[in-house]
Amino acid sequence: MTQLPSIIRLSFRDYSHEWRMSGCFILALASVLAPMLILFGLKFGVVSSMVHELVENPVNREIRPVGSGRYDDAWIDAYRARGDVEFVIPKTRALAATIQLKSETSARILSTEMQATDSGDPLLARMPRVPRGYGELILSQAAASKLNVAAGDRIDASLARQFQGKRERVHLPLDVIAIADATVTTRAVAFVSLDLLIASENFKDGRAVPELEWTGNNEDGGERVYPSFRLYARSIYDVEGLVNALEAEGVRAKANVAEITTVQSIDRNLSVIFWIIACVGAVGFSFSLGASLWANVDRKRKELSVLRLVGFKSGRIVLFPVLQACYTALLGWLLAVLVYLAFEHVINFVLAPSLKLERELCYLLTEHFMWALGLTVTIAIYAAILGGLRAARIQPSDGLREI
Amino acid sequence: MTVVYNLKNVVKQRVSDDGIGFRLVVPDIQISAQENIALVGHSGCGKSTLLDMLALILAPDESEQFDLHPVGGKDDNIGQLWKRSRQSHLSQIRKRHIGYVLQSGGLLPYLTVRENIELPRKLLKLPDDDSINSLSRVLGIHRQLDKLPGLLSAGERQRAAFARALSHRPSILLADEPTAALDPITAQKIMAVVMEVIRGLKITLITASHDWAHVYKMELRTLRQESEPVADGRIYESRFSDG
Ligand SMILES: Nc1ncnc2c1ncn2[C@@H]1O[C@H](COP(=O)(O)OP(=O)(O)OP(=O)(O)O)[C@@H](O)[C@H]1O
Ligand SMILES: [Mg+2]
Repeated sequence: MTQLPSIIRLSFRDYSHEWRMSGCFILALASVLAPMLILFGLKFGVVSSMVHELVENPVNREIRPVGSGRYDDAWIDAYRARGDVEFVIPKTRALAATIQLKSETSARILSTEMQATDSGDPLLARMPRVPRGYGELILSQAAASKLNVAAGDRIDASLARQFQGKRERVHLPLDVIAIADATVTTRAVAFVSLDLLIASENFKDGRAVPELEWTGNNEDGGERVYPSFRLYARSIYDVEGLVNALEAEGVRAKANVAEITTVQSIDRNLSVIFWIIACVGAVGFSFSLGASLWANVDRKRKELSVLRLVGFKSGRIVLFPVLQACYTALLGWLLAVLVYLAFEHVINFVLAPSLKLERELCYLLTEHFMWALGLTVTIAIYAAILGGLRAARIQPSDGLREI
Repeated sequence: MTVVYNLKNVVKQRVSDDGIGFRLVVPDIQISAQENIALVGHSGCGKSTLLDMLALILAPDESEQFDLHPVGGKDDNIGQLWKRSRQSHLSQIRKRHIGYVLQSGGLLPYLTVRENIELPRKLLKLPDDDSINSLSRVLGIHRQLDKLPGLLSAGERQRAAFARALSHRPSILLADEPTAALDPITAQKIMAVVMEVIRGLKITLITASHDWAHVYKMELRTLRQESEPVADGRIYESRFSDG
């Protein structure tokens, strides 16, 4: 045991004395490891952002009824209560859902489709809140730019109807509480509360809307039925089951099932390709690291023999190249990680924005770095032990004769 | 006087696959404590081979008897230790009792001269006393102690190698043509100093040299060496014996 601190000290002295050689070994290691980290970072980043996209993007979980049907509140509530449904909200007739918007900053009057929304709407998940009552709305990006408004502005909304032979128009002020993300829809859409949407339909059907002091017939229209709805499954894996459940009720429905399976199989294939590349890289990396460390031990045979001559035990001698291999592994890994982080920065902050990617294209978790370190050190120690044992086995006199 | 080395019929063979080679035979040698021995012979006669065996860094092929009894140490049957592959026991003896000066110095290039000289003492956990300074002063390298060996002249390197071999006060000093790379005057100076130190420390010296001039001057006992071709001239046999 007493020789251990000496060996640690000596191996380090030799390592730093031969800093050029050590530097070459570190560089050689880093130049194989860094590209592998980058490759793996890209694989991990791309695949997980694809999966993320698939799960996060509500479009992939939307189920759209084909044509129009008759759905009452009880039907909607029953679906809302299902575990595999994240969100469902009824739609009114398209004509009744049309509203004219006018802003102070734009000359044109925009005829826009209203869509009912409520809290939990996956399309508006990133909004601070959803519109409530009769005075708020969220505009889609397209609508907002056509009206030239921003969140916080107030716009004038109006509805027109043909009532008792006269053309009537009512106005109401609406506050733009937020602008939806561009990814939500490319069309001009106004997201409003279900109350406002129903009020609009009542008005257009000639009924009175007391909440907004709009006059009209006071007769009750009976149980309200909606011609359509907007429904999102909880996960992409629930989509197919929900479509089947709807079809069992005679509701023809469409979803991006094909797209989901396509993305899933791309994910699988991409993973296979990346793993093949990574495995080939890892094998090449092992051999190059092993070969250089092995060669290093051979180069050191004379000095190792001198250590044995002055009385170091063979077992301690093996430690000498092993420790040096550990220094190389550690420093090479560190350098590779630094190079990787620089690349990651370039890819994510320079390349990704120009490709209009929202998520990071390349990233690794801490555990990935630890895995790389573990692999590197293991290979290094293994190669050095093989070389070191050889150096320890030859008789010191043979080692001393070299030169 | 106690016998330090006692060798009978010790054989080391260096034969290549085609049966051509070299054989070193030591029929009978006894070396006593504080004796100073010179191994003299032409190049290739096996001086280094014999010294390596005496330094316990080369295993003999055969040995009827190979005993080592260093002054202040235990009696050890070296032949048995090699046969049983007791490497760490051998390195133990080497560490404590033997100093070896290689033909090429053999200093570690990454340690300063002082650290090189200290190394055997550190391994034995000997205290840091003034002995290294005084030894270096006697050998005339005290101004070079903080340099790396690569910056030393050949003579200084050889003197540093002597200092390392002597720093832990071994009872046996082996030197393999320590002055071969030096000019005769420097060589003589160094050997004179070394001889003085050795006499002072009561050390057994065994040195290889083909330079007869030293032998007379330093009053060393010379082992008789004769060689002849054997096995139809395929093997060149060299014998070292007392006398
Ligand atoms: N490892 C080895 N393998 C094969 N032959 C060897 C080996 N080491 C030495 N020899 C041979 O053994 C013989 C003796 O070598 P050795 O080095 O002992 O000679 P030497 O007397 O020290 O010579 P010199 O005075 O030139 O140093 C030589 O013929 C050499 O070629
Ligand atoms: Mg020789």
